[in-house]
Amino acid sequence: MNVLIIEDEEALAHELEIFLTNHNYITEICYTGQSASEKIAISLYDFILIDLGLPDYDGLDLLKEAKKNNPDAACIILTARAEIYDRVRGLDLGADDYLPKPFSLLELQSRMQAIMRRKFGLKQSIVELGEFIINLTDRTINCHDAVVSAITKKEFDLIAYLILHKNRTLTRTQLSEHIWGSVINDDYDSNYIDAHIKNIRKKLNVYAAPDWLETVRGLGYKIKMNI
Amino acid sequence: MKLKTKLTLFNAISKLVIAILFVLLVPVLIKKISRSYVDNNLIKQKSKFLQIVKTQGIKNYIPDGETYGSYYLPLKEEYLTIEDDTIPGHLIDTIKNEKRLVERDTIEYRILSHTFVVNKKKYLLEIGKSVATLDETSTPLQSIAFAVLIGMILLTILADQLYTNRVLKPLGQIIKSKLIGQKFPNFGSYKEVKTSTSDFQYLDISIHKMIETIEAAFQKEREFISNASHELMTPISILQSKIENMFEQEDIADELKVRLLEMQKILNRLKSITKTLLLISQIENEQFLKEDKISITELLQEVYDEISVRLSEKNITFDILIPQDVILININKFLIFNLFFNLVNNAIKYNKADGEIVITTENENGSLIVNITDNGIGISTEDMPFIFNRFKKFRQSMQQDSFGLGLPIVKSIATFHRIKIEVDSVKDLGSNFRLIFPADIIGYVS
Repeated sequence: MNVLIIEDEEALAHELEIFLTNHNYITEICYTGQSASEKIAISLYDFILIDLGLPDYDGLDLLKEAKKNNPDAACIILTARAEIYDRVRGLDLGADDYLPKPFSLLELQSRMQAIMRRKFGLKQSIVELGEFIINLTDRTINCHDAVVSAITKKEFDLIAYLILHKNRTLTRTQLSEHIWGSVINDDYDSNYIDAHIKNIRKKLNVYAAPDWLETVRGLGYKIKMNI
Repeated sequence: MKLKTKLTLFNAISKLVIAILFVLLVPVLIKKISRSYVDNNLIKQKSKFLQIVKTQGIKNYIPDGETYGSYYLPLKEEYLTIEDDTIPGHLIDTIKNEKRLVERDTIEYRILSHTFVVNKKKYLLEIGKSVATLDETSTPLQSIAFAVLIGMILLTILADQLYTNRVLKPLGQIIKSKLIGQKFPNFGSYKEVKTSTSDFQYLDISIHKMIETIEAAFQKEREFISNASHELMTPISILQSKIENMFEQEDIADELKVRLLEMQKILNRLKSITKTLLLISQIENEQFLKEDKISITELLQEVYDEISVRLSEKNITFDILIPQDVILININKFLIFNLFFNLVNNAIKYNKADGEIVITTENENGSLIVNITDNGIGISTEDMPFIFNRFKKFRQSMQQDSFGLGLPIVKSIATFHRIKIEVDSVKDLGSNFRLIFPADIIGYVS
């Protein structure tokens, strides 16, 4: 997967590059809109990450160029100027997703995977974990022939996010950012993730022990899975 | 009391006092004036008499052999007497009030007495004018003066009233257009109040300038918050990515990872504050559209889904008692959701274990009232005025991981949607937040 990162903040571009390279993407960086415009015109990418706040170029113009020259590329807008107008315009102009800064790298990765699934019409993604079969498309959990119905929407979101980033420890902060990211509230340190995990374990335990859902002491949680 | 009323009242009272004083003084004045007039007249008559005596002799007045001559007007209001003055060395020239017995009538006169010498003989002249005639004239004069005065006073009061009305009209306009009904911080555009009174012009322009200054300061604050929070997003973003990347590096010891995690938590706190401030500034700059509609039960169900884990942590019961569902229209769903989320979240945070939260609705004249009631720790009376202030922390919230922006968000969202908030709270017994939705964001009731 080829990713073009258009970001004038060199430090951020660099971190994006490290992260994506670690996750087997091939990246290229453009620090200016001008050079990005040239790159878009000649090369083909699977993903184009566009920062809207470029000093030399209107990010939305870049988006238009990308849609013209790289029609198959998925474009994700990254911006600190989280104006509602920009968001609507960006999505109108054909952006596949929109991530306001600051965002979690895990969130970026999960958005990219979601786009891929959408784009390439992947078959139902079904994951087998111990004695459980988890269908990420239909959002169902089965244990042998029984349907685990007690799991709430939030709890399923947590499981799905952990599966997506399998074998990786996710911190409580990362998890709560994912499941409460759209809620603006007053708490900065919620330990409600623990309560959710506790509930998930309790509900799954009725059917079988979910020993694949691990607590990483002092750090967070992870789902262990053989690839 | 209004300035106009005060002025009118003062004018009327002061004029009345002056009039009463004047009317009381009139008899005295008239007496004095008429007396000096009478005295002058008597002196004139005396000189005329002496003149006649000088040219024609005294015989015209006192026939020979007589010692006394007197002349009266028919009504005895004036008289003149001449008699021999036999008292030697006695020379008088006075005017005074005395009583005389004239044909059985005792009449009080103003009398001029004068001794003079003709043909080496001394005579005493008396010219009198009855006092009663003086009083007779003063009484009608007084009542005429009184009537004229009252008329004049009424006329001036009327004139004053008309004039003050006219002169103070611009002041009323300034108060009406610049002060009453102006909702901070939206003052509307400046309209000059027409007046030729320079003080009012000055007042008008000063108020206008002050409003402009306030507006500018307010605008600056909003821009500053918006710019500052936007500018902070990029560095926060870089730090967050760096921490996340480091966290994933396999050669990092767990001990260091724990510290990275702490950094992540703190960064998250910074991020939450910044995002919240940005949200408030976006609401205040009206950057949100109000085009959504959602039923109140659906919305509260979504809030419940988000928040149920927090409820069960404290074993708090959550009841939604809505007799009739209502559709909210022309609202921003994201914002209204956050309004309810924050209120319910607060009701959980400031509640005791096994507490309860009840949401009820009522309809009142087309508007919808939503009550969010808890039996938590409540708000003390002294804290009450400050609960919507940004970054205000209270003793009871100290134990909470909050930064004092929950209710300010609620407040800005409510203001943006013209929802009124009323808060009732008793310390240690609980709080009731009452949201009053205006009729125009209430859709059909299904």
